[in-house]
Amino acid sequence: MKGEFTPKIVGFLCNWCSYAGADLAGTSKLKMPPSVSSIRVMCSGRVDPVLVATAFLRGADGVLVAGCHPGDCHYEKGNYYARRRFAILKKVMETLGLESERLRLSWVSASEGPRFQEVITEFTEKIKKLGPNPVKEKTSL
Amino acid sequence: MEEKIGVYVCECGPNIADNVHIDRVLDAVSGLEGVVVAKRHKLLCSEDGKKFLKQNIEEHGLTHLVIAACSPKLHELTFMNVCEEAGLNPYLFQLANIREQCAWIVEDKEEATEKAIRYTRAAVSRIRYHTPLEKKEIESNPDVLVIGGGIAGIEASLLLASKDRKVYLVEKTSSIGGMAKEFKQLFPKMEPTSNILEQKVQDVLKNENIEAFTDTKVEEVLGFFGNFVVKVKKKTETEENEFKVGAVVVTTGLNLFDPTKLSRYGYGTLSDVYTALEFERMNTKGKILLKNGNPPKSVGIIHCVGREEKGYCSRVCCLYSIKFARYLKAEIPVVNISQFYSDLCVPGKSYQRFYEETKEEGVDFIRAQDIEVTESNGQMSVNYKIESRKPKTEHRNVDMVILAPAIESSGDSSEIAETLNIHQGDEGFFTEEHEKLGPVSTSLEGVFIAGCAQGPKSIPDSIVQAEAVAGRILSSLIPGRKLEPEVKISEISDAFCIGCKTCISVCPYSAIVFDEIKRISVVNEVLCRGCGNCSAACPSGAASHKHFTFRQVYQEVMEALR
Amino acid sequence: MEEKGYNADVLVIGAGIAGIEASLLLSRSGRKVYLVEKTSYIGGNVIKYEEVFSNMECATCMVAPKQQELLQDKNIELLTLSEVETIQGSFGNFVVKVKKRARYVDLQNCIGCSACFEPCPVSLKNEFEQGLGERKAIYVPCPGALPNVPAIDTENCLRFKKGEDCQLCKEACMFEAIDFTQKDEEIELKVGAIIVTTGFTTFDPTKTPQFGYGKLSDVYTAFEFERMYASNGPTGGNIVLKNGESPKSVAIIHCVGRKEKGYCSTVCCMYSLKFIHYLKHKLPDVKISEFYSDLCIPGKSYQKFYEKMKETGVNLIRSDGIEVSEEGKGMVVKHKSGTGEENGLAVDMVILAPAIEPRPDAPELSKVLDIPQDTDGFFTEEHSEFASVCTPKQGVFIAGCVQGPKDIQDSVAQSEAAVGKVLSTL
Repeated sequence: MKGEFTPKIVGFLCNWCSYAGADLAGTSKLKMPPSVSSIRVMCSGRVDPVLVATAFLRGADGVLVAGCHPGDCHYEKGNYYARRRFAILKKVMETLGLESERLRLSWVSASEGPRFQEVITEFTEKIKKLGPNPVKEKTSL
Repeated sequence: MEEKIGVYVCECGPNIADNVHIDRVLDAVSGLEGVVVAKRHKLLCSEDGKKFLKQNIEEHGLTHLVIAACSPKLHELTFMNVCEEAGLNPYLFQLANIREQCAWIVEDKEEATEKAIRYTRAAVSRIRYHTPLEKKEIESNPDVLVIGGGIAGIEASLLLASKDRKVYLVEKTSSIGGMAKEFKQLFPKMEPTSNILEQKVQDVLKNENIEAFTDTKVEEVLGFFGNFVVKVKKKTETEENEFKVGAVVVTTGLNLFDPTKLSRYGYGTLSDVYTALEFERMNTKGKILLKNGNPPKSVGIIHCVGREEKGYCSRVCCLYSIKFARYLKAEIPVVNISQFYSDLCVPGKSYQRFYEETKEEGVDFIRAQDIEVTESNGQMSVNYKIESRKPKTEHRNVDMVILAPAIESSGDSSEIAETLNIHQGDEGFFTEEHEKLGPVSTSLEGVFIAGCAQGPKSIPDSIVQAEAVAGRILSSLIPGRKLEPEVKISEISDAFCIGCKTCISVCPYSAIVFDEIKRISVVNEVLCRGCGNCSAACPSGAASHKHFTFRQVYQEVMEALR
Repeated sequence: MEEKGYNADVLVIGAGIAGIEASLLLSRSGRKVYLVEKTSYIGGNVIKYEEVFSNMECATCMVAPKQQELLQDKNIELLTLSEVETIQGSFGNFVVKVKKRARYVDLQNCIGCSACFEPCPVSLKNEFEQGLGERKAIYVPCPGALPNVPAIDTENCLRFKKGEDCQLCKEACMFEAIDFTQKDEEIELKVGAIIVTTGFTTFDPTKTPQFGYGKLSDVYTAFEFERMYASNGPTGGNIVLKNGESPKSVAIIHCVGRKEKGYCSTVCCMYSLKFIHYLKHKLPDVKISEFYSDLCIPGKSYQKFYEKMKETGVNLIRSDGIEVSEEGKGMVVKHKSGTGEENGLAVDMVILAPAIEPRPDAPELSKVLDIPQDTDGFFTEEHSEFASVCTPKQGVFIAGCVQGPKDIQDSVAQSEAAVGKVLSTL
């Protein structure tokens, strides 16, 4: 494993809960690795599986989808749809030869600044252990 | 037109500047395609900063504006207003969050700078694919359909009707007034019901802005918030009545649990077992008498009939059972009254006192389980177990038994749910939009619920909900004012839609309808709230979420991976 | 306004959830709203909760978008640190005098970076955190509070209290947001109607010494426990005893002060059941006992919640005559069952569910508004059955717990009802 590996992780955050939770982590000045680039979407259910797959094919070492806790969705049930798609995506990833742990779905509420920090730190550690996205090697050939 | 993108990085005093090399951020974006200017500023949200932005937009003739500063939750609207004032469409603006989600959370300045560059580049990359979005205005009809002429329906109608707003009140029975008109008095003040209720019924009938239909059923409701078309039909007539309304209020009330389903209470088999409603009627009409014509000497009132079967507490039974004791004591001062209950539920500021005062009049309250009503040799008896280490069975002889059956949803709820396309919970009541913050609205905009149609509740609580519906409607459906729907909504391309209806199945707001002629799905702009679920679910790429299009988000992903 | 002979603007007193809802709805109709709030922040009690029953929804996620919307609403003029002093006139034409205390931090200039907190030399118990956490003399009540602009507590600031020339906060501020020269203001408002949503407080359990509150170290009130569980609270959401350890057994005591107050507070059973969820979530092996008299869980979805909580193995004990005392390192909850048997249960932590009561300033406000209080101190409605959001004074409406104890759903319904009344009559 390369010592200097800094993973590139795409983080889709739902506007109402997780993006707000990430903001609260910031307001509380909680430090975390810079590996996750957050992308604001209105709902975790808006995260197009094709976008997730594309991210992996284009070399993302990890993808995080974070939304409201079950039952908290601002749009009633978007996070349930996200969860369903997530389950299928995990299967697809395995067939692509990607460790399914590279995709993570987390529930982070607007008051959970520390939890956001924890999710980001843990996930980054996990991806570091997994090493770079193996598909990247193939696609760059 | 050639695009001219301006990029402005906010120092936010030391908050960003101390932990991000802003000049390197500016360098990184300066050479990007379309970027004509990249500058820093001490504090963009300040009056000075806003002026600076406005001047820059005008001076450089910017077509797109990117700001790297704080969270959009804080100042997106601030900067959108600046755009508008400078004549730039506010949706041609993107805010990169390099404070909360970068400068404040990344320890190392080098790393924070890299991250800030990624976020700012992503915003530039994304904004090239922004399109100007415009607010739309949609005509609406201020009139209202109220379904159900009980106390909630009456109250809503009276508040809503005015010279520029007509109310159509549709009641399926032959008269308005609902279940409350059966009640002689109300707890806890034992006030007579008739005066106030009669007055309200008269007010409805006399109100020239309320058209009340009795013996009438709602046959069909089509359309959406602001523009519904309703068909109603009177029982005796064959012709339908059609009218247009902007909102629909459902106040269809309740049914009582049928105690014949529970043979242990003897209802329907023993002669002097009555339901609460039968007892109310007996009391309202005249004297409280047994079938044999004599007044009862002892009465057992059994709470929670059907509670276990329904799976919820009906909220009002304890209180009206206590009220029944008052009725009985008023008519027959020497009567013995025993209340058989499991948990006494008397929530609210004045109800416990009502209970205590009634108890002091000599009413027995017995916490009992496994209640059974039997008769032998012409004597009825209530048999029950009391709480103790060893199960202990006791009994009391009574002449009359009154059952307090659970409140159920009205019998026609399923039909109404289907007609209106609103949801029912497992218990059968209509589901509110949000348990806490949207108790009287539904997931279908423009359709409201109040009273026991939403869940078991008391008369004052039903009236409050009816008034709340009025608050919701009067604040959103204003005569002469057009509706301004959300801008960042979904759209479905005619050309790409394959008519699979996947989007319809995932839309939480019934905002997508199927055009049977063109065989494609169509988004209703008034109902769509812009969650984007349809665009994630669409297999053909026809559904697109404005301002969060595949292309726009894709650009952000690509920059994250650079 | 003039030609109509009345003023259509509305004053809302109290920026808790009921006041926020009412203001937003009124604004949507196009009305100008003045929202007067006594504290330096908006959100009231709801923002102290991590989750709300029965869906266990995150309260911040639910309320924060409403708070943001309110702060950005041009029709709503928010006056924090403000109190209504006098009201004159009548329905359609009220003249209201408001005393607005100085915040000493400029709302426009402050960017909410919190740089001013650290240098402040004063440290004291944070009331918002029920004394479980500390704050400075310049402070926001909790991270994420809105508006995200601190206020100077002149009761404790060295400069204001003791006349010292301390200006460490001012020096730390890069935005010239701190302004010691700000003065309290008298503001006159003209409105047509008033909605009172000043909320509630909870019964002080030191008045019922049998529960050990204030004497025994690990006896907490419901609000203290809420803040302990809150992820933005003083322990970061960790449930801990004073000795730093996690409790192994917890007793939750319902109806604290019910006998004294003479009414059931409506929500305590439900939030006590919610605490089971809190405890089991953080400490799966913790033993929980709930001491209750009558289970009051009215409404269509609450019993289901109760049944779900029961499945966690909680010990529900119907009892009275409860006494909490110290025994060895822990505590013992003595109680009498319905059949008179006396028992004792050893626990590490006790949580009390105190009655909801009117705010201590309710009598004063009742005088200012010229509306009556009932025997329990809540504001009296015009008619308990048919007009529960109206008061005997025309044009003054009440909503939420100021009218009587109730849950969030019913408070919101009342606030929307008050708006319905205002919009249909004014």
